[in-house]
Amino acid sequence: MTYFPEEVVEHIFDFLESHRHRNTVSTVCKAWYRVERLSRRSVFVGNCYAVRPERVVVRFPGVRSLSVKGKPHFADFNLVPHDWGGFALPWIEAFARGCPGLEELRLKRMVVSDESLELLARSFPNFKVLVLVSCEGFSTDGLAAIATHCRVLRELDLQENEVEDRGPQWLSCFPDSCTSLVSLNFACLKGDVNAGALERLVARCPNIRTLRLNRAVSVDSLSKILARAPHLVDLGTGSFTMDHRAEAYHRLMNNFTKCKSLKSLSGFWDASPRCLPAVYPICRNLTGLNLSYAPAIQGADLIKLIRLCLKLQRLWVLDCIGDKGLAVVASTCKELQELRVFPSDVCGAGTAVVTEEGLVAISSGCPKLNSLLYFCHQMTNAALITIAKNCPHFTRFRLCILDPGKPDPVTNQPLDEGFGAIVQSCKDLRRLSLSGLLTDQVFLYIGMYAECLEMLSIAFAGDSDKGMMYVLNGCKNMRKLEIRDSPFGDAALLEDVGKYETMRSLWMSSCDITLRGCKTLAAKMPRLNVEVINERDESDEMEENPSDLHRVEKMYVYRTVAGPRNDAPDFVWTL
Amino acid sequence: MELELGLALPNNHLMKGLDLNDGSTTNSYRKRGFEEAFEEVIPKATLPLFVHKNGGDGDDENDSPQLKNSPELNRALVGWPPVKHPRRRSAGGGAEERWSEHCGSNSDDGGGGRRAKCVKVKMEGVAIGRKVDLSLHDSYEELFHTLNQMFPNMQHELGIGGFAGFAHHPHHHRRRFMVTYEDGEGDWLLVGDMPWEDFIRSVKRLKILS
Repeated sequence: MTYFPEEVVEHIFDFLESHRHRNTVSTVCKAWYRVERLSRRSVFVGNCYAVRPERVVVRFPGVRSLSVKGKPHFADFNLVPHDWGGFALPWIEAFARGCPGLEELRLKRMVVSDESLELLARSFPNFKVLVLVSCEGFSTDGLAAIATHCRVLRELDLQENEVEDRGPQWLSCFPDSCTSLVSLNFACLKGDVNAGALERLVARCPNIRTLRLNRAVSVDSLSKILARAPHLVDLGTGSFTMDHRAEAYHRLMNNFTKCKSLKSLSGFWDASPRCLPAVYPICRNLTGLNLSYAPAIQGADLIKLIRLCLKLQRLWVLDCIGDKGLAVVASTCKELQELRVFPSDVCGAGTAVVTEEGLVAISSGCPKLNSLLYFCHQMTNAALITIAKNCPHFTRFRLCILDPGKPDPVTNQPLDEGFGAIVQSCKDLRRLSLSGLLTDQVFLYIGMYAECLEMLSIAFAGDSDKGMMYVLNGCKNMRKLEIRDSPFGDAALLEDVGKYETMRSLWMSSCDITLRGCKTLAAKMPRLNVEVINERDESDEMEENPSDLHRVEKMYVYRTVAGPRNDAPDFVWTL
Repeated sequence: MELELGLALPNNHLMKGLDLNDGSTTNSYRKRGFEEAFEEVIPKATLPLFVHKNGGDGDDENDSPQLKNSPELNRALVGWPPVKHPRRRSAGGGAEERWSEHCGSNSDDGGGGRRAKCVKVKMEGVAIGRKVDLSLHDSYEELFHTLNQMFPNMQHELGIGGFAGFAHHPHHHRRRFMVTYEDGEGDWLLVGDMPWEDFIRSVKRLKILS
């Protein structure tokens, strides 16, 4: 292929949409490697410690869009110590030096300081898109810097970050000349915003399509915003509480009626059932609905709302919807593709909960369902088998039975057969989370049938090392494996050490692996970072000094070309 | 005391405890105190760690394994159920008080007047300890249940597979574990001797011995 001019090859590469395909063609020959790296516009780094930022910049000098992920997934559930790492600054510094044409930055589970946001704001004149998901370490001052200096900002999307509130003035930092915003999401901010500044900002950005407000934004403000921006496609309301008899309420409903393009609704903080009818006018067109922050909307009110949402494709609710509510979803939302049912107050007495019945109903009513996150109190094998038959298109299946290790309540059996049916039927399954009572058998099924599986989450499951071995031996496409509180030890860990270089990462906590096992792994595989996370404080006694035979509480293993990291805190030992 | 020379210890303060002649290290001092207190305590009847609420000693095979008080268990287990932090904080109706994930270090509980009382729990032979929020428990029984769930390797030692299997082991073959605690004065005592409320006030940390 060397007789093709480079421009032609580059043009052909433009058609390759996925990172994996571009990675593959870059390995064909030197010429292709060169063409590919110079024409690469988008880079995805799944683990910020797998490669040094400088190296990425040197190889891909023309990058416009960078995505980086930091902490392991279990950090979401507080299993990773707060200052484990995942700093954004080195990445922003490297790109500021070597790639000033950067336009888009997407970070997930990283520590982002105000300093890094300021550097970002000043270093990239063409910066357009900032997406921060589950990040922390910054305050509204950092946001002020972004607002002030990013002249052509199109997207500021803050999802579930921990942001320190230093006042509402950040929003006022968007200059009057800023008219380019298309997407603004500050739902996760805890503090107030200046209502007037917000309304004016929305009014002068004619292209704004996504707007997600935080809890501090009043309904009054929302009403005004809707009046100015009836072309919104994705809306997250602020505080959704008002007197439903008042003038303001009717104005709001009126303004909703004008929003003909609205497809997605979320927010609903503090929503009371009486206020819901304000959104009835637009339910017909909704493809996405997130009511998971509205615990006061239950039962009949919820059902009334759902019955209007015929085109729904994505629904996030709390489990107080109950099995009955899910049955209504099943009969109404025939286009449903993604369902998430979150636990409300676990100890709440008298609120409806969801069981296997709700999910069975959904599966039979919504055959297009492909993505599920379901927290429930119980599940049966029979239900799972039925669900597997009804919905063979699952790509993501995450089931969380709230009681760890709970068996099928009808038969008292483990849920091996049920999950086995899921992996056997759903040939495209990429992500799976298990729960309930499970023996090694379920892992045998997973290893045998889950060919496309890329991410597996295991908790309180399995009997012996064999369980983990079945998975490592069977799942050829495994990328991320995370395990907690399961009886897998060194034998399983060391069964196939080469496997971990084909994966992004392995997390094991509260399992039976020992320090010796970890050290052995580290010694055999120099291109893995084997991190042992060892939280302790001064009050621990000397005898706690671990010998090789001691169990390791938390271990994180990942492939890397960057070697051991130089920013690891004291309690992280890279073996 | 074993010293692992092969391991590069980043924390120098761990080395300090080695010098037994150093009066300033309270660690080694406490250790001796612990043993002395223990000699008094051993002859007493040990409190079984595994408490089966229904008292069904013999007919356990057919009982459905009841994980008693599972909501309490959920509250005491770190990171379970696996729900992201912001979502927990916004759950309505007093749920903010009841989600107590990482005891002690996340001090931003929005609502809730009750203070968490988190103490460390170490089990003999286990390198790293856990933490348990005592304020979420009302009795010794609940506490033992939580400890039982926190240290599932005990069940492996007992030769039972599966997390929920322990409660109905067919044989009466239960190894006794002793749960001890350190009180405000640095003494190590057996858990269970005094009224729960007094215990809560004085306990500093827990240790499980076999």
